[in-house]
Amino acid sequence: MKSGSTLTTAESTLQLLKPPSVVTGHLTIGGLDDQVLTPVGTKPPLAWFVAFSVTLSATLIGIALIAYTIATGIGVWGNNVPVAWAFDIINFVFWVGIGHAGTLISAILLLFRARWRNAISRFSEAMTIFAVICATLFPLIHVGRPWLAFWLAPYPNQRAIWPNFRSPLLWDVFAVNTYFLVSLLFWYIGLIPDLASLRDRTTNRVKKAVYTVLALGWRGASLHWHHYERAYLIIAGLATGLVLSVHSVVSFDFAVSLVPGWHMTIFPPYFVTGAIFAGFAMVVMAMVVVRKTMRLENLITDYHLEVMNKVILTCSCLMGYAYLLEGFTAWYSMNPYIHHTFMQYITGSYWWAGWLTITCNVLIPQLLWLRPIRRSYSGMILVAVAVTVGMWFERFVIIVSSLHQDFLPSSWQIYKPTFVDYGILLGSFGLFFTLVLLFARVLPVIATSEMKMVLPGSQPAHKGGRHE
Amino acid sequence: MSDRKIFSVVGIFDSAQHLMNAIPDIRKRVNAPLEAYTPYPVEGLDKLLGHRKSPVGGMVLVMGIIGALSALGFELWTSGRDYPQVTAGKPLFSWEAFVPIMFEVTVLFAAFTAGLGMLLLLNRLPMFRHPMLRSSSLPLVTRDRFALAVEARGAEIDVEKITRLLQEFGAKSVEVVEEPAPAGVASPKFFLRTLTAIGIVCILAGFITYWTMKLFPIVKPMVHMLDQPRLNPQSPSRYFSDGSGMRMPVSGTVARGSVPYTIRNQELAGDLVNPLYRTETVLRQGRQAYMNNCSVCHGVLGDGKTSLTKAYGAKPANLVSQSIAGLPDGKLYHVIVAGKNAMASYSAELGEDERWATVHYLRVLQRAANARDEDIPK
Repeated sequence: MKSGSTLTTAESTLQLLKPPSVVTGHLTIGGLDDQVLTPVGTKPPLAWFVAFSVTLSATLIGIALIAYTIATGIGVWGNNVPVAWAFDIINFVFWVGIGHAGTLISAILLLFRARWRNAISRFSEAMTIFAVICATLFPLIHVGRPWLAFWLAPYPNQRAIWPNFRSPLLWDVFAVNTYFLVSLLFWYIGLIPDLASLRDRTTNRVKKAVYTVLALGWRGASLHWHHYERAYLIIAGLATGLVLSVHSVVSFDFAVSLVPGWHMTIFPPYFVTGAIFAGFAMVVMAMVVVRKTMRLENLITDYHLEVMNKVILTCSCLMGYAYLLEGFTAWYSMNPYIHHTFMQYITGSYWWAGWLTITCNVLIPQLLWLRPIRRSYSGMILVAVAVTVGMWFERFVIIVSSLHQDFLPSSWQIYKPTFVDYGILLGSFGLFFTLVLLFARVLPVIATSEMKMVLPGSQPAHKGGRHE
Repeated sequence: MSDRKIFSVVGIFDSAQHLMNAIPDIRKRVNAPLEAYTPYPVEGLDKLLGHRKSPVGGMVLVMGIIGALSALGFELWTSGRDYPQVTAGKPLFSWEAFVPIMFEVTVLFAAFTAGLGMLLLLNRLPMFRHPMLRSSSLPLVTRDRFALAVEARGAEIDVEKITRLLQEFGAKSVEVVEEPAPAGVASPKFFLRTLTAIGIVCILAGFITYWTMKLFPIVKPMVHMLDQPRLNPQSPSRYFSDGSGMRMPVSGTVARGSVPYTIRNQELAGDLVNPLYRTETVLRQGRQAYMNNCSVCHGVLGDGKTSLTKAYGAKPANLVSQSIAGLPDGKLYHVIVAGKNAMASYSAELGEDERWATVHYLRVLQRAANARDEDIPK
């Protein structure tokens, strides 16, 4: 980690403005395959098993408590009127938000031709899919009888009724499922060339059979690449609209209702920013661990981490603006209910959650203005953990603080989560990291065909590449 | 070299630049289709090989529009027409509220058209029997080499000349790729094996599901609202001192609409008077009761001719015949309550008012079956 250059001539300034190389050190195209694809499917190190047993235990705790919830009823949770939504919806919004970084990195940054995305796109897309799996779990168990959840689908039935298409909750069902399916498709299409590489590398018969089927017989013909690139770009464009719409629709669950503190026009952009914010924090955390343990420092460089930290810093400032605007709306609207709710956020029963949110999301990330902190592991991990905690508590504040004192003072209640609530939250983290750990061992964590494309000397325009 | 047909002659190049330099020269000297194989998309290669613009964009546009219109149409039809419910005071055709789902469905259609259209339609994947997949060149291509294939496509090609040309223009090695041997997937043995495997999987899945349901009956599938705390008829209850869940009426009282019917004989019932007036409401109620309970045997016209009659060999009475039309209201009422011949009592199915309304409706049927000229409205 070199500190910044102190040269001040015009030429050196231009040199600084040029985007740095996406890899460090000497790396050939074949060498990239050796580095990324060789560990796939091999026996993991001991540390992996330790981590896996921890995450799997957490998952099993979650599964046991979900079974207990379904067998007994959701009365085992702390939710009760007026706080009818609590941990379940907080966790849902939290996990959907985590997923947004993946699509942003893989789709929006592709359209912006940000070449640094290629190294981290595969991993963050996988995180998107796992996060959305965790997210969909919560509304599913919150309905109480998950085996009847298919009633949400508009299918012709004997009861001759249709779902209410004017309800934001149904919009949510469509938005999240579309998001999941399109992310999965995008991820899989990106994987196909890598699976073909794996197919042609492996000598194990079983693995070869599996990779052969999954790669669909990909052979890298130029005509195929021609259609492939076009389709990939189009799906990226569509996913861009999708990533903005999904968290907007999630925010409609709140904004379209009449609860003070929820009924605000700022909610969609505020939620989308928060989602990208939390997602990037999670990606940074995972990337630090991955590049360290899987020795990918030359592919996921300090530059990558620094750029991601800059995105986090930008989002943090936007979040600060959104929080200020909530206060401004409460004051400027002269609506006593909104005013009361906002004062509840910062001085009410859950004042500590409100201030924890502001501290973690707005104050601590300001450290990233300093370049040494943007480039140090401990600094970025501190910020990423703070953001993750802060974003979870932001949803806690929005949901619980707004609901616990509703229009009828006689029904005001203090919400207290039960051990089941905590256990299922733990279980969702366990599930997420279990899936991440499995992914890191069975599929290439870096999109090799995309990386090959941007390696120095890989395109004909760069005359005199390294393969001379 | 075997006598199998030659599919293509493949030259392996070390870099994208070498490959692209060689293509124009080889094209000039060889009159056969060319195809390149690369580990990643190479800029400008598609133009050099003369690929036309990819039609993915047009496909996506069409399917996206279809997605948008079908989603909007479906929402308008279900929420505005087939199941019109006013929610949140919105009008039935509140298209604004349908936009989010319309957008999601559009993206879903468009993205899957792009993805699956590209894979299945344009690239014709999955394809596991392409000759290249068996060549020794492909593992080099999916790693870091670039291949140029001069394809035969059924025609004869001069292997030696092409080999020489490829080497002359920079190919490091050349491989002759043959057409694969026929058969394999379509053989009867393959089908038999596949069917057996599917059968075994189905049987196993069936048993596993059965035993899981039986051994771990935590989630009873599809019981819906049957399974709730309640007292069924005749079931015991510890709440009452006599241990029975069913209660007798308070002594000396009669529930509304449940006056006991004491007449034993149809002849004696002739004196009963229909307590209902012949209003339209009553006739509608009578028709409803008749349709639900009587028409299945006596027919919707009351003539006793239904498919059920044929199936069971029973002979339900022709209710519009002169003999039955001549009976007084009370005697018809008695049959509904007490039953007659093969007909059972309908006192449990029909309340007192419904029985009398049914009698009124029978008169309508009888009048209709024996209509006179004067009945035609002027």
